[in-house]
Amino acid sequence: MKKLKRLFAAGLLLIMMVSLAACAGSQTSQSTGGQKESSSKSEEGTVNIGFSGPLSGPAALYGERTLNGIKMAAEEINNNGGFEINGKTYKLNIVPLDDKYLPNETASNAKRLLQEYKTPIIFTLHSGGVMALQVFNETEKFLIGAYTSEPDVTDAGNSLTIGIPPRYDGYVEPFTDYAMKRFGKKLAALPPSTQYGKDWAKTLLPQWEKKGGKVVYHSSIDFSKETDFFTIVTNALKEKPDVLFIGGASEPTAKVAKQARELGFKGGFIIMDQAKLDFMEKITGSYDVLEGSVGVLPLVKSNDPGAPAFAENYRAKFKDEPSSESGLNYIATYIFVEAMKAAKTVDDAEAIRKHMQDGLDNLPKDKRVYEIPSIGDDGRLEVKRKIAVVEDGQIVLKVVD
Amino acid sequence: MEIFAQQIFNGLTVGSVYSLVALGLTLVYGILHIPNFAHGALYMMGGYITLTMMTKFGLYYWIAIMISMVIVGLMGVLMERLIFYPLRDAPPIQDKIAAIGILLFLEAFAQFVWGADYQTMPTPYGQVVSVMGLTFTMQRLLIIISTVVVMILLFLFLKKTFIGSAIIAMSQNREGAHLVGINTNKMAMLTFMISGALAAIAASLSSPINLVFPGMGHLVILKAFVIIIIGGMGSIPGAIIGGYILGFAESLGATYISNDYKDIFAFILLVLILTFKPTGLFAKGGHS
Repeated sequence: MKKLKRLFAAGLLLIMMVSLAACAGSQTSQSTGGQKESSSKSEEGTVNIGFSGPLSGPAALYGERTLNGIKMAAEEINNNGGFEINGKTYKLNIVPLDDKYLPNETASNAKRLLQEYKTPIIFTLHSGGVMALQVFNETEKFLIGAYTSEPDVTDAGNSLTIGIPPRYDGYVEPFTDYAMKRFGKKLAALPPSTQYGKDWAKTLLPQWEKKGGKVVYHSSIDFSKETDFFTIVTNALKEKPDVLFIGGASEPTAKVAKQARELGFKGGFIIMDQAKLDFMEKITGSYDVLEGSVGVLPLVKSNDPGAPAFAENYRAKFKDEPSSESGLNYIATYIFVEAMKAAKTVDDAEAIRKHMQDGLDNLPKDKRVYEIPSIGDDGRLEVKRKIAVVEDGQIVLKVVD
Repeated sequence: MEIFAQQIFNGLTVGSVYSLVALGLTLVYGILHIPNFAHGALYMMGGYITLTMMTKFGLYYWIAIMISMVIVGLMGVLMERLIFYPLRDAPPIQDKIAAIGILLFLEAFAQFVWGADYQTMPTPYGQVVSVMGLTFTMQRLLIIISTVVVMILLFLFLKKTFIGSAIIAMSQNREGAHLVGINTNKMAMLTFMISGALAAIAASLSSPINLVFPGMGHLVILKAFVIIIIGGMGSIPGAIIGGYILGFAESLGATYISNDYKDIFAFILLVLILTFKPTGLFAKGGHS
């Protein structure tokens, strides 16, 4: 009898989970690109590309979006028959590992990728992870696809690091100029309490003061601890700022902006590059709430040649809005492949690095989701910086150089 | 003065959410004698189920909350039956490990089913009300009022009904309660049910002002632990008062001391209270 009861309970649990899973439309499509075995005419090879990023925990979404971009590029390349070097056809195989956003995990993942898969390139998504890899990437000869706008990782002089997104410090001046001119000189800073948020604040606040502005409030928001942002926003608004500096993941950042409006804030927002205006709009319901915001240009509003097609394909494939992390890593994967072609090797990291510029030049026009004319000596892709502002409830594009 | 009043209101809002979560935690403590680490995961499930009911089935906010309370309550019961009940004679460390296991399982489950992304819960109470320079939103007023109502109902249930007294008797002494003819198994299940329902209502009320995501339980669970320690493990008034104390400590501490140190402020309070009342404010006597 007792056994029966327990069986019944277990059954109930199962039913409940299945029904929950059914009503929420599971959205996990975790197939790694191109493992199709096909025996055709000439020799075939596989190039393993490593990925170490957060695939679980609070940053999982960021990791997934990045990985999606890389996977999408790999799948496209494979479906077009792969690429050819010295008469041998290669296909890409993406090997993703979860590092839970922890640098030590990134390092052990990288070791595993190198030993088991001999990956010439490893993507990683946070400055801590990149720095952990820089300890041994030159001796073990692999390229780091560093998706971080932290300038330190490319300033370190590592010869095999490719910085993918633009450095964040380039945004500071245009953001400051726009917000100060439109709204006034008083700034309240509420960056997230992450290392990245602190670094941003350290660059932005002196710039703001240099331009004659005043920082009236400075604190930080811990998105992993705060249930409600009313308290901190109330305190920031007490000083009557003209501009609020906010940032973090798009969705919580949008909540902060919304709550600031609820508390009567009429000024503008400077938004850290991590948050995307189009994702924020989904939370706030309209761009009116974000009036006067200055931030990075959302990929969907970009007029670069490859952007609209990419956005469309991405939506169809992942049922999600594309963002710059997927777009930039998508294009980076293509650039790496073009560089391999130019270098005529798939495993010599130094040669691939040397031919990155050729990779950029050879990039097909329809793949140019972003305009990247060149790569700097420091190894960072020099993406044309585009910023967006919200004026009269519309996103307006501004180009800076 | 305006700022002070506004911050009192803000403190009351978060304090209400904390209290509700801590109440569920403290009730279950009476049975397990360990803090139920999986309580934060139940809170998260509550948020997701309410959201799913609203978005997929188009149910009205309050009806969605009711359904969510029932489902999460049942999940609590299942947890008790399948995991904690078989472990009742095991050393407490096994309960703890089991609870952490449930927490990890449910978080991964939520990410699998609903995805890792942040979701917003719509609310029919989005209006902003300004009175004498203070800003309220309807949702926040609702949080405060509903919490008080829930607390009163819970209090009446525990103090005025026979079943309620049986729950209290059982948390004081499981064997003693059994000896006087209380069906302790049933009471344990009921307690888990109430605890789950409290987590669900707390999550459903607070989600519209924040977001729904797999890690949302972490926002409140650590604080709920602090609260039940401040209030006295297993004490119901302790959980209520403790929740509001922490809410006010955070909002006023952030205003008049420093926002960066407001968590320290809460923990200093914890140290002080434990120094003078090592068992917490409302420690209940005589449990094993």
